[in-house]
Amino acid sequence: MHPVFLIKKSIFFLPTFQNLTMAIHTLLFAASLLIFSFIESSCGGNKDKVFTGLQNSLEVTAKPVQDSVVLEAGKDMVTIKWKLKSSAKVDADDTFKKIQVKLCYAPISQVDRPWRKTHNELFKDKTCPHEIVSKSYDKTPQSLDWTVDLDIPTGTYFVRAYGIDGDGQEVAYGQSSDEGRKKNLFSVQAISGGHVSLDIASILFSIFSVVSLLVFFVKEKKKAKLEQRE
Amino acid sequence: MEVEGKGGEAGTTTTATRRFALPVDAENKSTTFRLFSVAKPHMRAFHLSWFQFFCCFVSTFAAPPLLPIIRENLNLTATDIGNAGIASVSGSVFARIVMGTACDLFGPRLASAALTLSTAPAVYFTAGIKSPIGFIMVRFFAGFSLATFVSTQFWMSSMFSGPVVGSANGIAAGWGNLGGGATQLIMPIVFSLIRRMGATKFTAWRIAFFIPGLFQTLSAFAVLLFGQDLPDGDYWAMHKSGEREKDDVGKVISNGISNYRGWITALAYGYCFGVELTIDNIIAEYFFDRFHLNLQTAGIIAASFGLANFFARPGGGIFSDLMARRFGMRGRLWAWWIVQTLGGVLCAFLGQIHSLTWSIVVMLIFSVFVQAVCGLTFGVVPFISRRSLGVISGMTGAGGNVGAVLTQLIFFKGSTYSRETGITLMGIMSIACSLPICFIYFPQWGGMFCGPSSKNVTEEDYYLAEWSSKEKAKNSSQKFAETSVSERGRASTHPQT
Repeated sequence: MHPVFLIKKSIFFLPTFQNLTMAIHTLLFAASLLIFSFIESSCGGNKDKVFTGLQNSLEVTAKPVQDSVVLEAGKDMVTIKWKLKSSAKVDADDTFKKIQVKLCYAPISQVDRPWRKTHNELFKDKTCPHEIVSKSYDKTPQSLDWTVDLDIPTGTYFVRAYGIDGDGQEVAYGQSSDEGRKKNLFSVQAISGGHVSLDIASILFSIFSVVSLLVFFVKEKKKAKLEQRE
Repeated sequence: MEVEGKGGEAGTTTTATRRFALPVDAENKSTTFRLFSVAKPHMRAFHLSWFQFFCCFVSTFAAPPLLPIIRENLNLTATDIGNAGIASVSGSVFARIVMGTACDLFGPRLASAALTLSTAPAVYFTAGIKSPIGFIMVRFFAGFSLATFVSTQFWMSSMFSGPVVGSANGIAAGWGNLGGGATQLIMPIVFSLIRRMGATKFTAWRIAFFIPGLFQTLSAFAVLLFGQDLPDGDYWAMHKSGEREKDDVGKVISNGISNYRGWITALAYGYCFGVELTIDNIIAEYFFDRFHLNLQTAGIIAASFGLANFFARPGGGIFSDLMARRFGMRGRLWAWWIVQTLGGVLCAFLGQIHSLTWSIVVMLIFSVFVQAVCGLTFGVVPFISRRSLGVISGMTGAGGNVGAVLTQLIFFKGSTYSRETGITLMGIMSIACSLPICFIYFPQWGGMFCGPSSKNVTEEDYYLAEWSSKEKAKNSSQKFAETSVSERGRASTHPQT
């Protein structure tokens, strides 16, 4: 029987799959166009607010409870205090509806880490990703003993508070460090996240994989020997 | 042993001692491809191999979607992340070359399962890493598993005959590569499920890595238990019973590396698959940084690049087979060169676009092109050599990873080039590296610009030339030569004597 004859008969099966792929292709393409133009439009909102446009009218201090060099995440505490600066106008905080206190990276922890970069535009700024507390604004001086969260990464930090108006926009700020963000910093050591049980499980599963491979090899050799004897 | 069957569309083929569910050719390779069948041995081999490869891809690229958590836990810098990305694809350069020879010697079933099971520990140990060095090391060793690509192509080339081998290779590889996209969706979901069960962030991501590890282990078991190397049986059994002659490793390797076509495919593949791997590593970050999207959105976009593999790479393989039917090997070469050049143009274009929507549109079209080229490449590879099929597949596959390593080193490390400039330059390099395809020439079929040799070289001459006159084990090459006559295309009809 000529092989070419067999080959020609096989052509019958390919077109159905090809039509299906074309249809899926067009559908996926159209769907993704719709979804992504929607995402772009919903990415709107107020992109104008800049950090340098905010009033530095809040006074913030952040001191570790224990004067240890490095704080442990999940264990050690920081006393944070904030109030309106005495040098600010008396009614400067009338517009504040909320106060948002955040943990911010010092420049040394931003080096070679573009996901923590400081941008002037507030919506782009990634300096202060961790929120400590967010509550309605009280004109009296506030104080908080905050335990460093379990998921705070290792690094050097300071604290910043934003005064937020009724529209949810930042109007003023204050921070526990200076303008260059070099003074009054504190360091945090993160939890490792690892557990002895995880390590043991890793070892067990790994041994299982390798041992079963060897078992299979031995079985194959035996099978081959058996077939040779037949 | 004679192939007796007439191989009708729905019928079975009977040989002197064996019965196949699908129609087969002289080498007992299937001449059709039935996606929804798991018939032994052909379609079963297909499903086992693509699924194993998929699991390896999921494991290798399991870290990128969880990087925002991992980088905080391990205090990684951008340099560490870049190095880990390079490490993840560089391990399998060596592994792919070795895998080619391993398949030639031990068979794809044992070779691939051995690799998969021995790299699974790297995935499990990811749960226990405590430093950037640990991160780079586990990504390096887990990345070795991408060499199962070579075994996939080898296995498909052993199970499926000429007219459908492009499709089989393309679909198997495409659905495997899909893992790179699927993992961007799977890992975040697994992570949030584990968090909901009460783990902290820094523990939850560690536990999440057991899932890809387990899948990798189980897929290897499936391959060992249910797979078969060749339509006629397994390598080991056949070696012992004398059906299959053992070949000389040195000769197999030297025959492979002395074939210039293998080097050209390696270079070209470096700039289609290499581009795909590079994009897998950097695209989420690109969209995150340039367009200030949140991580989930950037992750979905990153996933959609990889998910296009579901149809794009198989489409390339099928397109290669279609071109071969009409124009023979010359059609395959032209299609390959044109689509790769267009892919490079789109890539160069992508870096220049400022709008988010258009970036996504161009990226999606570009993803289809670049993945189709991968399928088109492996429509040509099975025909370059019969004796050293594994070595050529391994070289080409390794070339893909070398391309990824080089591209990330030159254009995406540190801040020499902005990401968008890097993407444009990568596209230009891709166009340049696809030009050598014009120099591929088969004396029996021709090349892009030249017809077949005037000396009337036959397929038999080409494939049997790989063996010296003293060597006897030429039977399989003889059969392959007969079945590859179809690469002449429809126009010419040379009757076989």
